[in-house]
Amino acid sequence: MDAYDYAIVGNSAAAINACDALRSRDPGGSIALFCEEKHRCYSRPLISYLVAGEINTQGMYYRPSNYYRSINVEFHKGTRVDSIDPAKKILTTAGGGKIKWRKLLLATGFTPFFPPVEGLEEIDYLTFISWDDAKRMLSLTSRPVNALVVGAGLIGMKAAEALHARGAVVTVVEKMERVLPQALDERASGLVADRCGGMDIQIIAGESVSRLQSRGGNKGRAVLENGSEIDFDLLVMAVGVRPRTELAEAAGLPCAGGIQVDQYQRTAVADIYAAGDAVRAMDVVIGEPAVNALWPVAALQGKYAGRNMAGEEIPYPGCNSMNSVEFFGLPVLSAGIVNPPDDGYEVITRLGEGGDYRKAVLRGDVIVGMLMTGKIERAGILTSLIQERANVRRIKNFLLEEGFGHINFPRSVRRDRIVDAVAGLRGAEVTRGQGG
Amino acid sequence: MIRIIPREEFCIGCRLCEIHCIVQHSKSKDIIKAFKRERRPVKRVEVEEEGHVSFALQCRHCDEAPCITACLSGAMQRDPDTGAVVNDRERCVGCWTCILVCPYGAVRRDEAEKRVVGKCDLCPDLEIPACVANCPNEALIMVED
Repeated sequence: MDAYDYAIVGNSAAAINACDALRSRDPGGSIALFCEEKHRCYSRPLISYLVAGEINTQGMYYRPSNYYRSINVEFHKGTRVDSIDPAKKILTTAGGGKIKWRKLLLATGFTPFFPPVEGLEEIDYLTFISWDDAKRMLSLTSRPVNALVVGAGLIGMKAAEALHARGAVVTVVEKMERVLPQALDERASGLVADRCGGMDIQIIAGESVSRLQSRGGNKGRAVLENGSEIDFDLLVMAVGVRPRTELAEAAGLPCAGGIQVDQYQRTAVADIYAAGDAVRAMDVVIGEPAVNALWPVAALQGKYAGRNMAGEEIPYPGCNSMNSVEFFGLPVLSAGIVNPPDDGYEVITRLGEGGDYRKAVLRGDVIVGMLMTGKIERAGILTSLIQERANVRRIKNFLLEEGFGHINFPRSVRRDRIVDAVAGLRGAEVTRGQGG
Repeated sequence: MIRIIPREEFCIGCRLCEIHCIVQHSKSKDIIKAFKRERRPVKRVEVEEEGHVSFALQCRHCDEAPCITACLSGAMQRDPDTGAVVNDRERCVGCWTCILVCPYGAVRRDEAEKRVVGKCDLCPDLEIPACVANCPNEALIMVED
């Protein structure tokens, strides 16, 4: 039986960043990576760019073609892991292969999820989360089609935008009252919806599909709750996603809406770690573990999982629900709490020209959320204040100004962040300019 | 590696750092052409100013760089030779995730030619980065650690 120091299940943001961290700290340990897809590591969020023709297939890859070889990782592509035995430290692949490991990382990601809809099974519908989904969408839109997207979350809206770029006539049905109801607030939703309207994408909000009728293959008809009917040549189901936990659950790992991990990305079972979209990990804004199925969050968790698997003891700093996305040329950036759940929050907004809008959400004197559309430069300063749970009492009035920056911070804080935060600067060799 | 440190007690807010940064990252590297005849590149250093206080700030090339971890495409990387955080403009797709996570606001949209981000690259072709070399009052200094 093959045996490895480290086995990794998954091949996306969390898995690859774990590989990098492992290799940089353990140059000699053997690493095997198992992935059910046949592609080498690609960036899942870029599938909408691929379909829209903004990048080519080469642009999809997250790492160079010699990546696995270059850091000496055995890449088992097209190899699904069927089960793990935590006691014997063995995993079994779909082909029946058994592999022994010393430490295991579960980076199993997420899977599309939707409530049952009558008639859905008779239709050859699409989801929009993988490269294979993107390929199917590309081939099905080689001629103009009528496309129906169910769900106006991030995946649904990026699917709608990609379909539009392919010349499709697009309709989006969303059961909440507006697009991107979770990621955005009402005003920003409106700005995105306006852009969609300008592109002749029809948004039907506050409506659900009550049943579907097949018209053969990919084609069908949707009947909405209000009785109206929509004929489509292509159906994209983008209602939601959920953590992929079946492997972890079958192995007896505690999973309550996501694999549970401690601050070192360790599961409840010794020597099994987990990271990424399948995991509930600390959200510093809400102050408890949450699933934030977002690429940057998964990458960061993977990095910390790898470090800890390699023997460091370094706690995951926690993250927040942060997102950057662009719809028809309108950049939309958000972090933390965008829609305050009750009256215990202070909301500051600033509305500029066109699509420029800024919002900060405060709890007491602590900034817990932000949203920016249009002019998004320097948004990260707010994100970092949110991440640091910074007290912003003295700079509250400047937060949403276009010129907001370190100039608004107290001088000592500014010095800390700009100079002292950079390691090794004191006593370093100094070079000055010759002057103008 | 090279680090650039601002010294606000010496900064006069002249923004020559911004101008020479733009020139250095332009096609011709000629000040008139860069500003008048070519597509002007985005500035990679920015003077922040309030009243009589000002300083210039560019990428800190963080040891734990959030932009590298957050990058969707893998374009943002650390140069193994110089230690600088650099963006591969061929692989950058302009998703702005780095802008979302940079604590210094040091990454900017650069859409002059294609949709990518621009940031300080420590002027790899120069012995001293343009902003440091052209600061008239030593308000930007270069250190090596």
